[in-house]
Amino acid sequence: MKAAIKPSRQNMARPYKKRNWKKYALHLLPLPAFLIYFLFVLYPIFSAFVYSFFDWDGLVRGAFVGLKNFVDLFARKPFNVMFWNGFRHNVLYFVIEMIVQNGFAFLLAYLLFTKLKGAGFFKAVFFFPRLLSVIVVGFLWKLILNPNFGALNRLLGIVGLEEWAKPWLGDPKTALIAIILINCWFGLGFSMLIFLAGLQAIPREILEAARLDGVKGLRMIRSILLPMMFPSIMIITVFTFTQAFEAFELVYAMQGSDGGPAFSTDTLAVYFYRLAFASANASEIGLGSALAVVLFLFISALSALFLYLTRKKTVEG
Amino acid sequence: MKRSILLLLSLVMATFFGLAACGSKEEGGDNGGGKTKGVTLTIGSWRTEDKAGYEKIIKAFNEKYPDIHVEFKPTKNTEYDTILNTNLKAGSGPDIIQLRPYAPGMALAKSGYLEPLDDVDGLAQFPKMILEAATGEDGKVYGVPLSINTAQIFYNKDIFKKYHLSEPKTWDDLIAIAKTLKKNGVVPFAFGTKDGWLLSLSHSIIGPAFYGKDFPDQIAKGDVDFTDPKFVDSLKAMKAITPYFPDKYTGLGEVDDRTLFASGQAAMYVEGSFDIEPVRQLNPNLDLGFFPMPSASGGEPTITTWVDSSYGINAHSKHKKEAKKFIEFLTTKAFGKLFTDTFKRPSAIPGIASEDPLVAALSKTADQDAVPYFILTTFNSGNPTTKATLESNLQAMYLGKMQPEDVAKSLQESAKTWFAPFKK
Repeated sequence: MKAAIKPSRQNMARPYKKRNWKKYALHLLPLPAFLIYFLFVLYPIFSAFVYSFFDWDGLVRGAFVGLKNFVDLFARKPFNVMFWNGFRHNVLYFVIEMIVQNGFAFLLAYLLFTKLKGAGFFKAVFFFPRLLSVIVVGFLWKLILNPNFGALNRLLGIVGLEEWAKPWLGDPKTALIAIILINCWFGLGFSMLIFLAGLQAIPREILEAARLDGVKGLRMIRSILLPMMFPSIMIITVFTFTQAFEAFELVYAMQGSDGGPAFSTDTLAVYFYRLAFASANASEIGLGSALAVVLFLFISALSALFLYLTRKKTVEG
Repeated sequence: MKRSILLLLSLVMATFFGLAACGSKEEGGDNGGGKTKGVTLTIGSWRTEDKAGYEKIIKAFNEKYPDIHVEFKPTKNTEYDTILNTNLKAGSGPDIIQLRPYAPGMALAKSGYLEPLDDVDGLAQFPKMILEAATGEDGKVYGVPLSINTAQIFYNKDIFKKYHLSEPKTWDDLIAIAKTLKKNGVVPFAFGTKDGWLLSLSHSIIGPAFYGKDFPDQIAKGDVDFTDPKFVDSLKAMKAITPYFPDKYTGLGEVDDRTLFASGQAAMYVEGSFDIEPVRQLNPNLDLGFFPMPSASGGEPTITTWVDSSYGINAHSKHKKEAKKFIEFLTTKAFGKLFTDTFKRPSAIPGIASEDPLVAALSKTADQDAVPYFILTTFNSGNPTTKATLESNLQAMYLGKMQPEDVAKSLQESAKTWFAPFKK
C-alpha cells in the first residue's frame, strides 16, 4: 500500500516546488507515531539486550556478567531442560499449524475462488473466530473441554463414545495438541484470506489459457495455482513461523504461566514470562532478558532468511 | 530549513504537552469529589473481590481522619505481582502495598521499595510467628499482617449425616469414610490436579498426618531434609488417595473442585479458609463443616496456618506520613473486628473473635493445633522456587510421570541451590 501512495504524493508536490518547506513538513507527520514506536517497541528491545548482560537480584540490577545468563540458559539445570522442552513445543506448534491450519485454509480459499454459492457468507463465517479476543477464545474452549461439565465430553457421551472422553487439557498427551488445534481454528480465516487474495491476483489470461489447454482440477492447482501464488504462501509461512514461536496468549489463558500439566504445554514465550515476571522473589530478569534476546535473534534471522529466499525466487521467476 | 526545525520543535512540544495533559487529567480525577484539601492515598491489592468491603473500612478510617482520602485500587490476582513490580521499578506504585507473605513480599523490602515500620506501636501485639511473614532479612518489620489463613478439609454435613459418618480421628478413619462415600456413589474428595498451587496447599494439609507437627521446625533448621522417610510417606499418601478423587481429576482445577463440592456431588473439600465465601456464594444452603487433619501415627490433629498477606508502605510514596496513619489504623482492634466481620476471614490481630461460627471455630482450632504451611513460609525461594518445584512435581506424580521418592529427591536438589542450612 505504501508503495502505491508514495509516487502519487510526489506527483502532487511537484507544482509547489517553490514552497519547499511543505515537502519537509510532510516528513514530520509520522513523528508522533515514531515517538510511540520508539518508546514502546525500540526502547524495550534495546533495554532487554542491555539487561541480559547483567546479574539481577530480584528487581535490582547487579554487576555486569557478560554472557553468563546465556550460558546458564543453555547449560544449567533446570533452565536448559525447560528451554528445549519449550522449543520442541514451538516446533510442533509450527508444523501442525502449517499442515492443519494452512492446509485447510488453502482448501477453503480454493473453494471460495471457484465461485461457490454463498462464498461471501462463508468467507465471513470462517473469519469470524479471528474477531474474538484470544482470551475469550481460550475461556470458551476451556468450558467446552472441561472434563466433567464440558460440551465435548457430553457430546461424546450422547453418541455413545463415552470411553473417548478425556480430561483434554489435563492430560499431557492431549493438552498441547488441543491448544494448537484451537489456534488453528482461530487463525484459519486469516490464512484463508491471504490465500484467496493470492489466487485472485493470478492474471485471468493465464488461467484461461490453461483451461483452453485442457488443464483441470488437481493438475490446475499443482501446476498453475500454487506456483503463481508463491508469494502469498511465503507470507503465510513467515507469519505462521513468527506466530508459532511467539505462542503465548492461548497457553497462558488456558493453562496459566506454568504451561501445565507438568510443563506439557510450555512454550518459549510462556517460559520467558515465568522466568522474568511470574513471582516477585524468584524473577530472573537477566535470564528472562537473555531468553527474549535469543528468541528475537532466532525469529528475526529465520524470518529474514525466508524473505530473502522468497525475493530471490520471485525475481528469478 | 529554519522553519522546518521550528515546526519539528513545535510538534515535539505539542506531543509532550499532550501527554502531560493526559497525565495530569488523571491525577485531577483522583483528587476529585470535593476533597481537594487533603491528600489521596492509594492501596494496591490483589483482592478485586474485596472492593465493596474496603469501602466500609475506609469509611471507618475517615471518621478519624476526614482529610485523608483513601482509594482501594486492586488488580487481578494473577497479574498483581507483574504490575506492581513494573510500577515500583519505574518509581511509582500505590502508597500502601498489599504484600505477599514471607519471601516474595520481603524481596520488595530487600530491593528497597518498602518503608520499615519501626515506630508503629500496634505491631507489638502480634506474636513473632505472625510478624515473620513481614520481617525482612535485616530483621526489620515491613508490613502489618492482615489475616491468617487456615487450611483444612471441609465437609458437607448433610452427606455425612446421611451415611452416618462422623469426623475422622485417625488416618484410617478418613480412608474408611472415603470408601463408604465411594460405595454410595458420592465423590469422596473434590480434588483436581490441574492447578499446581492447590497441590502444594493440599499437601500442607494432608502431609502433617505423616511428617508430624515438628517437622517444619526441624527442616527449617536443617536437622532433617526432604528425603526423610516421613516426608516421602506424606507424598505417598497424596498418591494413595487418588482412588477417591473425581473422574478425570487431572483436568480439574479449583473452580471445578468448588463446583463439585458446593453442588453436593463431592463430600469433602481440601481447601483454605479463603474459599468459604466463594463456596457459600455458589450454594448458600450448604451445611459446611471442617475437621483438623487426623494423624496417621497417633499424634495430635493439625490445622495448617500461615499469614495470608500484610500491608506495607511504598518507600517512594509522597505521603508517607499519612500512609503511616492508615497503617496504624490497620493494627487497631476496631479494624480487626471490622475486617473479620466484613470478609468472614480470621484477622491476624490477636483476640479478635468472628461472629461467623465456622470462622470462629477455625480460629479456635488454629490457636491449639496450628502447623505452618512450611513450603510457603520457608521454601518459597530459588528459581524455580522449591514450592513451584513441589507443585509441578506433584502434578507429574499424579500423571504417573514421577514416583514419590523422585519428587522428594528433586525437592532436595532444588532447595540445596539456595537454602543455607542445606549448604553446610
